[in-house]
Amino acid sequence: MGILNWFGKPAPDVQKLTAGSFTVDRHGNVLTTTVGSAYPQWLLDDTAREVLALFRGAHDAQMPLTGLELHFAGLDITAREMQGGAIIFVAPQKAVASSSPACKDHA
Amino acid sequence: MATRDKILVLDDENDWLEVCRDYLSQLPSKPEIRTVSSGTGAVAMLDAEPFRLLVCDLKLPRMDGLQVLSIVRRRFPELRTVALTGFSDEDFRSRAYAMGVDLFWLKSDMQQNPRMFLECIESLLGTEDGGGFRDVKAKNLLDVIRVELALGNSSVLRITSGWKAAHVWIKDGQLVDVRADGADGEAALRRLLNWKSGTFESLPAEPSHVRIITRSVDAILIESAQTVEKAENPTPKQEEEETRFVNRLTAVAYEGAEFVVTVPVKKSEAAKGWGIKEVDRLAAWARQADKSARRLGEKFNAGPLTHITGHNLERHLLLTQEGGRIFAVGWPLDADSEHMFERSKKLAETWAS
Repeated sequence: MGILNWFGKPAPDVQKLTAGSFTVDRHGNVLTTTVGSAYPQWLLDDTAREVLALFRGAHDAQMPLTGLELHFAGLDITAREMQGGAIIFVAPQKAVASSSPACKDHA
Repeated sequence: MATRDKILVLDDENDWLEVCRDYLSQLPSKPEIRTVSSGTGAVAMLDAEPFRLLVCDLKLPRMDGLQVLSIVRRRFPELRTVALTGFSDEDFRSRAYAMGVDLFWLKSDMQQNPRMFLECIESLLGTEDGGGFRDVKAKNLLDVIRVELALGNSSVLRITSGWKAAHVWIKDGQLVDVRADGADGEAALRRLLNWKSGTFESLPAEPSHVRIITRSVDAILIESAQTVEKAENPTPKQEEEETRFVNRLTAVAYEGAEFVVTVPVKKSEAAKGWGIKEVDRLAAWARQADKSARRLGEKFNAGPLTHITGHNLERHLLLTQEGGRIFAVGWPLDADSEHMFERSKKLAETWAS
């Protein structure tokens, strides 16, 4: 029976992340979002923090940027600097693999 | 019938190109005047046909004049070069001369005193290019120094050969010190005397310069002369490295990039840059961006990071990894953004090879 239970284990969740955007203020607080529940709050917070740090780092490196795009095989993250804060777009390029940490509760 | 010398004039302002063409067409030797408005175009034209002289504006929108001059001094060592600028900037002047430019001239001076400018250009066109040190025809550097010593002069000789520069301090006909190729004293003199060609200018004496060379000058010169006779051409490895470097710069020029910074992923290794001053700061940010992006990629389970792009009102910036290094490539705003990644990747591959 044990082996049957093992085979009968439910498959990992497969969840396609949707496209959307969110805005953050200069302190990294998420102000508005259209990305829905596909992206947990902690992930938006982490993204905001990393993106704002990159804008500031670029400024310190004397290469101030008004826009930033991170291109992955399955996702594009696009950020536009807005008065110290940013608007961040998330656009999956295709179905993202299952068991994404993004789709699980933040430990 | 003797062939006419060809002069290439590089400036991004068409009006100024016409002004230069008008002036240069008055030269007694009646050279053929060609014009070009971009650094990449200039390198391509110099590659395609032989020119005698390049007149280069220093302030250009993409690849600036100093970058162009840096490339041509390496790629076309026999080409005479004139830097023209609208700004009286001592930093520009010294940097231009440091990289071996034959003549630095202000545009305003050219318009106020065109005759003197044309005489200098004519003189440059007439300079033999069979090696030796320009300004003293058919003399080698040893002869130049011997003359200064024999006359009992006090001066500083600044010698440039390609992108290399050296200084020779002479006081009351005594050789006081030499700085060349990162060495000083006798070692520098020996290195300097291996230079096959170049230009020199006499600067005001520096009486307070500390004397490093104490041996009898004759002894050093005899020893150095022997060294010169034994001097060999650059080793194949040196030639290979030089060729690789020039190829890299040329690739950047042809692609139209503004700058390239190569950043080893390991912090212990130094970043290198071309076409940009703040290499270390940009390198630190590139490492930060690469790490941040990878962290986010893992959290989103977004797959491998392919590249990062950024932009501001002046340029695009693209980061990509190749061979254990992050390549930060700057592109002008009007660069074709659709193919920027492929072009950056191509540059990175050229650089990493």
